Amino acid sequence: MLRGVTLANAVVLNFYRADNFQRPVGGVICVLVMLAWTALAVWAYAAPRRRTVGLLVADLAVAVGLLAVTPLVKGDGFNATVPGFWVAGALLAWAVRYRWVGGLLAAVVLAATDLLVREEVTQANYGNVFLIVIGGPIVGFMCGSLQQMAAERDRAERTAAAAAERARLARAVHDGVLQVLSLVQRRGAELGGEAAELGRLAGEQESRLRTLIRTQERTVAGPGESDAVLDLAAELGRLESRVAVTVAAPATPVELPADVVRELCAVVGACLDNVAVHVGPQAPAWVLLEAFADRVELSVRDEGPGIPAGRLEQAAAEGRLGVSESIRGRVADLGGTAELSTGSFGTEWEIVVPVASGRH
Amino acid sequence: MSEHATGGAGETVATDASIRVMVVDDHPMWRDAVERDLQQAGFDVVAVAATGTEALTRFKAARPQVVVLDLQIPEPDGVGVTREALAHDPSARVLVLSASGEQADVLEAVKAGATGYLVKSASREELLDAVRRVAGGDTVFTPGLAGLVLGEFRRMADPAAAADPMQPQLTERETEVLKMVAKGMSYKQIAERLVLSHRTVQNHVQNTLRKLQMHNRVELTRWAIEQGLDED
Repeated sequence: MLRGVTLANAVVLNFYRADNFQRPVGGVICVLVMLAWTALAVWAYAAPRRRTVGLLVADLAVAVGLLAVTPLVKGDGFNATVPGFWVAGALLAWAVRYRWVGGLLAAVVLAATDLLVREEVTQANYGNVFLIVIGGPIVGFMCGSLQQMAAERDRAERTAAAAAERARLARAVHDGVLQVLSLVQRRGAELGGEAAELGRLAGEQESRLRTLIRTQERTVAGPGESDAVLDLAAELGRLESRVAVTVAAPATPVELPADVVRELCAVVGACLDNVAVHVGPQAPAWVLLEAFADRVELSVRDEGPGIPAGRLEQAAAEGRLGVSESIRGRVADLGGTAELSTGSFGTEWEIVVPVASGRH
Repeated sequence: MSEHATGGAGETVATDASIRVMVVDDHPMWRDAVERDLQQAGFDVVAVAATGTEALTRFKAARPQVVVLDLQIPEPDGVGVTREALAHDPSARVLVLSASGEQADVLEAVKAGATGYLVKSASREELLDAVRRVAGGDTVFTPGLAGLVLGEFRRMADPAAAADPMQPQLTERETEVLKMVAKGMSYKQIAERLVLSHRTVQNHVQNTLRKLQMHNRVELTRWAIEQGLDED
C-alpha cells in the first residue's frame, strides 16, 4: 500500500519535473526500475517464506542504487532524488523485520547515500534525512512492542483457558472423590469397630473437601473483586472444615470490607474455640449468617451445659476479662453488639454489625 | 459429619412397603448402595436411573411417590429433572441427596419443588427417615438449606431490590422457626422453645418452602409470557 502511494508520488513528480533530467532516457529507465521492483516487492513480501534476508538486502540495494544514480541522470546540483520518498518502502521493510536495529541500519545507509550524492546539503535535505533516521528505529521499536503484546495476549488467553479447563476437571474429580468418601463414611458407620473409625475419618475429609470446593468456586465466580472486599459467607464457610461445625449462609455473596470480614471470622473462630474448650472438641456447633441491607447478623450456637450463672461476673470481679469480654470488645470495635444467652439449652452468641448501605 | 437433618423420627404416614421410590444417581456404586438400603428397609424401589433423560422417561412409566435424586447427573441436571417430574406429577416428592454441597444448585432444586435435602454423608437411618418423612408430605431440611432459604427471603425483602407486589414474605413466626432450623435446632427443640406443637413447627417450615416455590412458578410464568410477547 505504502509502496504504491510513494511510487505514484515519485512517478508523478518525476514526470512533472521531467525537464530537470539531463538524460531523459536514464530517468525513464529509473522510473521503470521502480515500477518493476515495486510490483516484485509487493508480490515477494506477500508470502512469509519469501521474506528472506536476500530480499531485504536487494530491496535496500535497489533504493540505494536509485539514489546513487540520481546525479548521473539529473546532473549535478539536482534538488530531489529520483526515488524520493519511495525509499521508505525498503526502510519500513527493514524496520518491521529487524526491529529498531534494522530500522536504524537501513535509515543510516539511505541517509548516508542521500547526503553523499548531493553537492550541497540544504536545510530541507537535512530535515528529510533526519526524519528517515528517526522514523526507521521508531517504527521498528513499535513493531517489536506490538508483537510482544500480541504474544503476551495469546499467552494470557491460553492461561485463562487452561485454568477454566482445570476448574472443570477439578469439579468432576472432586465430585467422584466426594462420592467415595461419603460412601466409605456411611458403610464404615454400619460395619462398626475399626471400619467406623475409618468412616469417621473419611467423613471429616469429605466435609473439608466440600468446604474447600465451595470457597474456591466463590473465589473463581467473583468477577473483578478488589482486594478491599471479601465474601463473608465464603470466608465463614471455611470454618466448616472444623469437626462438627455447621455453617448456614445465604446463597449470594455477602461482600464487606476485607478487614471487617477477617475480624468477624476471627471472632466467630474464638466463639468456636470456646465451644471446643468448654463443651468438648467433638461438640457440635452451628454458625448462622444473615445479611440485611444495613447490617449482618451472626449466631454461634452450641448445645453444651451453658455457662454457670455468676461465673462471668466472678471472673470479671477477679480482674480477668476472659473470652466473653474479648469477643464483646472486638465486635464493639466494629461498631456492633454481641449478646450472650446461656442456659440449660446451651450457649448462643448473637452478633450484629452495621454495614455501610449500598452493599450489593 | 457437619450437617444432619433436623427433627426426630417423623410420624410415618404410609408403611414402608407401600412407598414407591426411584433412585437417580450417575455413580453406579452409590445408586446400588441406596437402592439396597431402601429395599432392605422394605421400600418398593420401582426404578433407577443414571441420567436426567433416563430419569424422566422412567419417572413417567414407573410413577414413583418419592424420587431420591443426585443433583450432579448428565443432562438435564437435577434441577431440571425436579421441575419436569413435578410438572408431570405434582403429587410426587423429590428428596435431593447430594455430595456436591453446591449451595446454589440446592437452592434452585428447592425452588423447583424439591421438599427434602440430605448430604450423602448422612447415615442410612437418616436417609430412610428422610424418605419416609418426604413421602408423608413433610419437609426435610438441613441447617445449611434453611440458611439458604432464609437468605433468599432476606434478599427479596431488601428495599434496594425492585419492589414486587407478588413478592412472598414470611410471617414473623415463620422467620423465627426457619432461623432456629438454620441454627441447627431440631423441630422438637423448636417446639419446646416456642411452646408450639411439633406439627405446627413442621407446618411453618413447609409454608416457607411453599411460598418460595410458588414465587418461583409465578416468575417462570411471567418470564414465559414476556418471552412470548417479545416474539410477536
